[in-house]
Amino acid sequence: MSMLQHFPICAIMAYFLGAFLIVVFGRNRALRNLIGFLSTATPLCLLTALVKPVLQGSDVIAYWMGSRVPAGGYAIGIALEVDALGLFFGLLIATAVFVAMIYSFSYMSHDDNEPQYYTLFLMLCGGVMGFVLSGDLFNMFIMIEILTFAAVALTAFRNTANGALEAAFKYLVVGCIGSSCILAGTIMLYAQAHTLNFAQLAAFLPGNLNTATVVAYALLFIGFCTKAFIVPFHPLAADAHGAAPAPVSVLISGVLTKSGLYGIIRLTYILFRTMNLGTVQFWLVFLGSVSMFVCVTMALAQHDFKRLLAFHSISQIGYVLTAAGLATALGVSSGLYHAMNHTLFKGLLFLCAGAVLHETGTTDLGKLGGLSKKMPQTTVLFLVGAFSISGIPPFNGFASKWMIYQATYQKAVESGNIGFLFATIVALVTSTLTLASFVKVTQSVFFGQLPKEYENVKEVSFGMRLAMGILALLCILTGLFPGFVTTYLTEPAARAVFGANNYINAMLGTGYAQNFGLVDALPVSFQAAGVWSPISWLCLLMIMLLAVAIVAVSSKYDQVSALAKTAAAAEAAEAKAGPRYGSGALAEGKYELFFGGEESVFSQVGGDDLFWGFKHNWRHYFSFMHELHSGIVNDYALWAVVALALAMLYAMIIL
Amino acid sequence: MILLNYLASFFLITLGLYCIVTKHDLLKSVIGLSVMDYGVNLLIITVGFNPGGTAPIFTFGELNPASFFVDPIPQALTLTSIVIGACTTAMSLSLVIKIREMYGTTDTRQIRRLRG
Repeated sequence: MSMLQHFPICAIMAYFLGAFLIVVFGRNRALRNLIGFLSTATPLCLLTALVKPVLQGSDVIAYWMGSRVPAGGYAIGIALEVDALGLFFGLLIATAVFVAMIYSFSYMSHDDNEPQYYTLFLMLCGGVMGFVLSGDLFNMFIMIEILTFAAVALTAFRNTANGALEAAFKYLVVGCIGSSCILAGTIMLYAQAHTLNFAQLAAFLPGNLNTATVVAYALLFIGFCTKAFIVPFHPLAADAHGAAPAPVSVLISGVLTKSGLYGIIRLTYILFRTMNLGTVQFWLVFLGSVSMFVCVTMALAQHDFKRLLAFHSISQIGYVLTAAGLATALGVSSGLYHAMNHTLFKGLLFLCAGAVLHETGTTDLGKLGGLSKKMPQTTVLFLVGAFSISGIPPFNGFASKWMIYQATYQKAVESGNIGFLFATIVALVTSTLTLASFVKVTQSVFFGQLPKEYENVKEVSFGMRLAMGILALLCILTGLFPGFVTTYLTEPAARAVFGANNYINAMLGTGYAQNFGLVDALPVSFQAAGVWSPISWLCLLMIMLLAVAIVAVSSKYDQVSALAKTAAAAEAAEAKAGPRYGSGALAEGKYELFFGGEESVFSQVGGDDLFWGFKHNWRHYFSFMHELHSGIVNDYALWAVVALALAMLYAMIIL
Repeated sequence: MILLNYLASFFLITLGLYCIVTKHDLLKSVIGLSVMDYGVNLLIITVGFNPGGTAPIFTFGELNPASFFVDPIPQALTLTSIVIGACTTAMSLSLVIKIREMYGTTDTRQIRRLRG
């Protein structure tokens, strides 16, 4: 027994121990920050030490709590099991949590009840870490409950913020329906297999599928969907992100959704791998595509910075689900790659939104503007995040999205199923709409004219910039070296997804899986259809940026005089016509860049949106969606129940 | 007898979900959540129940292949689940109190500042 075996449990305990110590010693700020820093840095170091044996050597670390090893082929104790998939998600979580903790030190320093914040924060981290490293189904349920409670409490942490309490309540109600589904599914599996151990279930289930286990799959699947906020549950994410402090948004978007995705992947590919995979693929890809499209259009209609980012977050989760549902090696690998990128760029964007909120006190897109003059570094960091999420070439979003397009297309060609081609198309359209939406956000927050009340805004403190900088750097690095990422991170994880026998044998002894007559299902090939060189794209981007900079500098003086003229003309017109109604915000010249500055053109924009033409053409769709997202908790619960009923019916009839 | 237990647990789960979906009062939503929890707990206990089995309390010497007892694991799970259910109720009730203070109502149709 080597030292390494104890690292996973230590990683989980570090978070919970930190949470406990902060309750005891949390009054002193320096001590509190030290405990917070250590308890998030330790798991990151411990998991990094596991990279070599697990990700490169494809070892699986099995750890039995209290050394209660299996007897007679039956798992008795509670197990932790770390394979490449679990470690991949664990590393992702540890990184995001570490960065969010650094950011919190200065971001939360003006709040009341700071010790409680850190306690809940670390409980959430520990819950997610315990979830992805656990090898026991009931243990996973416990961890899900811990992280749900912590997330709900953190959503309502700034309980005077607009809507924080109602967001927390809605999340609690639907989250608890999801948790109860997971518990019911767990117990139905227990009734069939008489074990809760993942490896033993994975060995038992493939040969013994019946109606009860398939219904259990539907229950567990819906439960994990509520944690990942897949489509019928997406309003909860939007509400929670809008109200929660920025570092908590990083946790909910970058960490909590990953736990749901991890659950879905593990459930589908390890436990139920002999289920009719064709129909499950259709199900996952369909849900993923719907999530992508619905959420990106919802994001286009938003006026709040963080709420908009929240919808984009779920839209990107849709990409991951679509890719992971393909059941090909390339698909799963690209999905995991995008999951990693999602944590990095979404975390970065939420932290930038938090920086804007911290300095200006608002996230209303209509009120903000021109912050690039006051917060240049935040602007650059935000642009890195925006380029990444929209899939602009040298950044990481492009690498993973490109792989996802290829994976879906390859699947369509291989299986001859036209449906997967639609997934490719939806993914492309969603990416375009994402870019459009981020053009709007960037323009209305960082460029355009600076409102008078924000003239004293300053750049955020060093700690916050450091946290954002780490994520931006990771975004660029993972985009520039996709070969490195796929070889060392996502491909070993994808191999683990398709190598269930290795997982079972590591826990229950060599040859255990073979006794059940199990063979690993799919040949693992990571061959992508095309290659691309990120470095050349980087050069192209540099040249374009240089060109833009030259144009901006050379036309600066002209623009200023033109602006002054327009403003003077507008004032004169206003003085003549008396006070105007409606489009008051436009007089500030916010969208001048896009409308050439003529008032007659942009006065019809009808408020505050760049894409008014698009929105006008789609007005029936948008008003329908607006009506649908009523904000009443009963409606959201009804969606959950309908989704559950449909999933169970689908499972019973088709699988 | 066992069948009755299963029916009752599914009835409780359905009743809880029905309450959450149709009742426009925060407190009734909380009650619905609790009822659903009880349903799931009953399901767990039923799964582990063997008619005629004894309590699963043995020392190593007493345990032999002929001993017939109810499955102890679901009982342990139920205890955990009950604790979690109590936490859910406590937390949601405290949120209801704060919402009542801030919004002046517990009607879900009026607590919808975040929508669209």
